[in-house]
Amino acid sequence: MLRRMKPRVLFLLSLLVLPLSALAEAKLRVSSFSTILTEIAQQVGGERVAVTAHVKPGVDPHEYEPKPTDLKTVGDAQIILLSAKHMEGYVGKLKESTGTKGTLIEVGDGFSSLKMKPEAGHEGHAHASDEDPHWWHSVANMGKATKIVRDAFSKASPADAALFAGNAAKYLAKLDALQKWTKTELAKLPRDQRKLVTSHDAFQYFAKENGFTIYAIEGLSSADQPSSKKVAEIIATIKARGVKAIFSESIKNPKVLTEITRETGAKVGGELYADGLGDGAAATYEGMFKHNVSTLVNALK
Amino acid sequence: MRGSPLLRAVLAFLAILALGWPLHRLTTAADAPREQPKTVVAEAKTIGLRLTFTLAPKSVKVLHLGQEVWSESAPAAELKHTLKLAYPAEGIDLQFQIEWPADAPLAAMRATLTDPDGDPHEHSVWGTSSVDEVVTFP
Repeated sequence: MLRRMKPRVLFLLSLLVLPLSALAEAKLRVSSFSTILTEIAQQVGGERVAVTAHVKPGVDPHEYEPKPTDLKTVGDAQIILLSAKHMEGYVGKLKESTGTKGTLIEVGDGFSSLKMKPEAGHEGHAHASDEDPHWWHSVANMGKATKIVRDAFSKASPADAALFAGNAAKYLAKLDALQKWTKTELAKLPRDQRKLVTSHDAFQYFAKENGFTIYAIEGLSSADQPSSKKVAEIIATIKARGVKAIFSESIKNPKVLTEITRETGAKVGGELYADGLGDGAAATYEGMFKHNVSTLVNALK
Repeated sequence: MRGSPLLRAVLAFLAILALGWPLHRLTTAADAPREQPKTVVAEAKTIGLRLTFTLAPKSVKVLHLGQEVWSESAPAAELKHTLKLAYPAEGIDLQFQIEWPADAPLAAMRATLTDPDGDPHEHSVWGTSSVDEVVTFP
């Protein structure tokens, strides 16, 4: 009798245990609308999260609009990560159309904002406010964002909280090392030469953290021909401030770029990554940030 | 008004020449690249630097713009030095590389910079064994 019952008991027990183990295996479903937050989510979550990156590297987050496939994924997500500070103009539609029960984490709203220069133009961009939404150009903000993501993940999956805390600590240590490297690199550049001419006013956080002055220029973000009056103003600014280099992220119109460099003698300093991660060495936050710092130091020193 | 064809041709040629010269000047001037913008380089000024250690280090180096400007081996617990450096209104970064004994406890260095106007600015650097830190003054 007992012998007969043993296999049955084992079978019933296995029925109980299987769903529990399946539950333990289920990963936290995360939707990310920022290349930067995708990296943070993957670093903090590790094997315990399944991150869907809706905004891919190289995609302009200002121009991005969710597609129907994105909406379905968001509908199933447990956590939705957003840059915030008015970067995602579609956030209202996203909530409404997906009816998601997932938690929306508007990461950038977790720390203070810097304003873009009032004279800065944003042709081709849809900033709904004068806040600079590019908070990730401050390494200190990246640390705060990492802690926000860690806490959100731990709340959604308390069983994995220790793992998330450990992973976050490792990533925060990497950010500390990056901050130290940045200070040492920028120490090669005199503080009175830290001048950044930009029309895409995306570097307020970087400027504040590293002692740069931004000369925001209106009217050069798009490929359209800006007025000759505007170009004359830019030339006057560069001459008056003794700016050594301008950067191709700032000025996308090659004709205008040629005219400005010819008239001022300023050189083209290279390309800066403003809107998130890119390809190659800039595919990671550390790589992207080091590229920007090295480009600035080499062009301006 | 008719004149000779030769005379008219000469007059036309002179008119083209008169117009051509300023046009040539304008176009070549536009093509030639201008000089690099003149950046106002801050003048080198005398700066005082006093370093006070909680524990005398094995060595200390001070770098400015990536170049070593002062170093001491086996220094005393308090050092004074004068540097001649450009000191713009935006301030300067000094990089301190300090080596304490490997088994030493947590130690600190107090750096007091006296700027060209005679105003002192203080910063502390903490560490064990080896420290490499950039400090911004003021």
